[in-house]
Amino acid sequence: MIEIRFHGRGGQGAVIAAELLAQAANLDGKIPQSFAFYGAERRGAPVVSYARIDDRPIRLRTAITAPDIVVVLDPGLVEVAPVMDGLKPGGTLLVNSPLPPERFPTPKPAFVATLDATQIALSHGVGSRTMPIVNTTMLGALSRVSSVVSLSAVQHAIDEHVPARPAENGLAAIEGFHTVRVAELPGLPGGKAPSGPVAPALSSEVPEGPIASMASDVLHTSSWRTLQPVITREKCTRCNFCWKFCPDNAIDLDSEGFPVVRNEHCKGCGLCAVECPPVAIEMVVEGGA
Amino acid sequence: MAKLTLPPVELVRSGHSACPGCGPALAMRYLLKGTGERTVVSVPASCWTIIATGYPTTALRLPMIDTPIEATGASISGLRAALDALHMSDVQVVGFAGDGGTVDIGLQSLSGMLERRTDALYVMYDNEAYMNTGIQRSGSTPEGAWTTTTPVEGMARGKGEPKKDIMGIVLAHHPVYAATLNVAYPEDFLRKAQKAASLKGPRFFHVLAPCPPGWKFASDQTVQIGRLATDTGIFPLYEVENGKLRVTRKLGQLKPVRDYIKVQGRFGHLTDAEIDTVEHEVQASWAALLQREARP
Ligand SMILES: Cc1ncc(C[n+]2csc(CCOP(=O)(O)OP(=O)(O)O)c2C)c(N)n1
Ligand code: SF4
Ligand code: SF4
Ligand SMILES: [Mg+2]
Repeated sequence: MIEIRFHGRGGQGAVIAAELLAQAANLDGKIPQSFAFYGAERRGAPVVSYARIDDRPIRLRTAITAPDIVVVLDPGLVEVAPVMDGLKPGGTLLVNSPLPPERFPTPKPAFVATLDATQIALSHGVGSRTMPIVNTTMLGALSRVSSVVSLSAVQHAIDEHVPARPAENGLAAIEGFHTVRVAELPGLPGGKAPSGPVAPALSSEVPEGPIASMASDVLHTSSWRTLQPVITREKCTRCNFCWKFCPDNAIDLDSEGFPVVRNEHCKGCGLCAVECPPVAIEMVVEGGA
Repeated sequence: MAKLTLPPVELVRSGHSACPGCGPALAMRYLLKGTGERTVVSVPASCWTIIATGYPTTALRLPMIDTPIEATGASISGLRAALDALHMSDVQVVGFAGDGGTVDIGLQSLSGMLERRTDALYVMYDNEAYMNTGIQRSGSTPEGAWTTTTPVEGMARGKGEPKKDIMGIVLAHHPVYAATLNVAYPEDFLRKAQKAASLKGPRFFHVLAPCPPGWKFASDQTVQIGRLATDTGIFPLYEVENGKLRVTRKLGQLKPVRDYIKVQGRFGHLTDAEIDTVEHEVQASWAALLQREARP
């Protein structure tokens, strides 16, 4: 039995990715299973989904804690979500990232593969700039780096089960298959372990007084974003429209009235850029490619 | 440097868990700038319960109670009575509920609060469906809109029934003040919030709050789409004080409703003929609104 865990953000198609993989494996003659971790599936928030693939019916119904394969749909998640937790030695880590695979050391030796799926999805018009949908590109790449599913089964599953733009999704999968790069990493004892989840550890004691009294500012919601606003001060007329329309209060005005994005809270919605009359704000890919 | 048109005080914190570009997140932000720091908020089950309470955190700088979805009206009547008993009559009591929690599940409770003449402000933020549970149709979903329970496939063409007239229902209770507001017009929003805060007795807000995932548009379009809702005449901005109606955003020529409908995926299936029907209905209701305004 092969166990695969997907990490994505709400809206990116992580749940559909697990489902499509299961459909494709079924076309390959396997007996699959897929399901999602049930949580608040906000657009942009980290989400997890699972697939199991075997030649025999699978009775196990639990979440996957020791995956053979981890697929990360968003490069930013490697920093903020425990994506490598439990990844088996000799397993596979597939990351959507323009960076080379060597940049993602695993705690135990594993095959690491990367591809710039965001760019591929965008070039095929799959999803939008604010929310590229990379699941089909990543499945194409997965069919290259592991024997768990074939590319033709992925294509068939897309044709049958993707309602919007199946042809473009199919092309994105093929390009994913051809562009993915693989590196095998030796176990790096000094390798960077993934940082913990964004949310603070839950206190075992219920606080006295109000049930929830910790300020929400401790939650760094910028971990949800794929784009970030960049303000060109020379073009800014200090009209404060961006400050006014930010749903996350992530823009402060400095002493001269210039807007400053509070990067730990900005969710990258792009409203400030659209509402800025002199077009002084540009949305650029988070972290830069 | 332009003058701020909204008070700088922020009573909604960052780090809340609304989706990027969330209209209801803006609604709370503007509302509390108007009602001020001495406000308590009762929030029933809705997106806003989740937005405010990523346990163990809270996104509001003032007291909030989490209320059963059918009881917002009752809860604010109770809060008012308790605060008055504690000689805290200056504290504003606000109920902040979704459209499903207002026009469907909590309608009896809202009616009771208005009828008891509770001194409180009931705010309905209208994202036009049950969004927190995954986009199910509500009584406030507009006709023709796709939702997960009003699909578009085969003969099914989205919601078959028109939007419930909540302002009509509320006005039949003769509140001291009732108004429509739109997150795309924050200055109008603020003025109404400040005005409501200065009055005593039952008050009601119907706030249009676009929802990117629920209406199927990109997260940077929330304000553009909100403006179109008002400027096409689909969601006119007005206030009713002691029975007298006043349109607060005057419009010469209405923009074509097509401009609003075509930019939202939930209406993607509507034909030109169907859009023309909406256009005629909107023009008729806009004309009726102007007539009501002209009445002495
Ligand atoms: C009596 C009851 N029925 C159903 C629910 C489940 N529920 C929680 S939030 C929600 C959606 C409410 O929709 P709306 O009031 O429009 O607010 P929105 O989520 O759209 O912000 C529902 C149905 C509940 N909490 N209580
Ligand atoms: S992109 Fe702009 S408007 Fe959106 S959260 Fe970031 S700073 Fe706020
Ligand atoms: S579903 Fe809509 S209303 Fe709810 S948090 Fe997301 S954007 Fe806001
Ligand atoms: Mg709603």
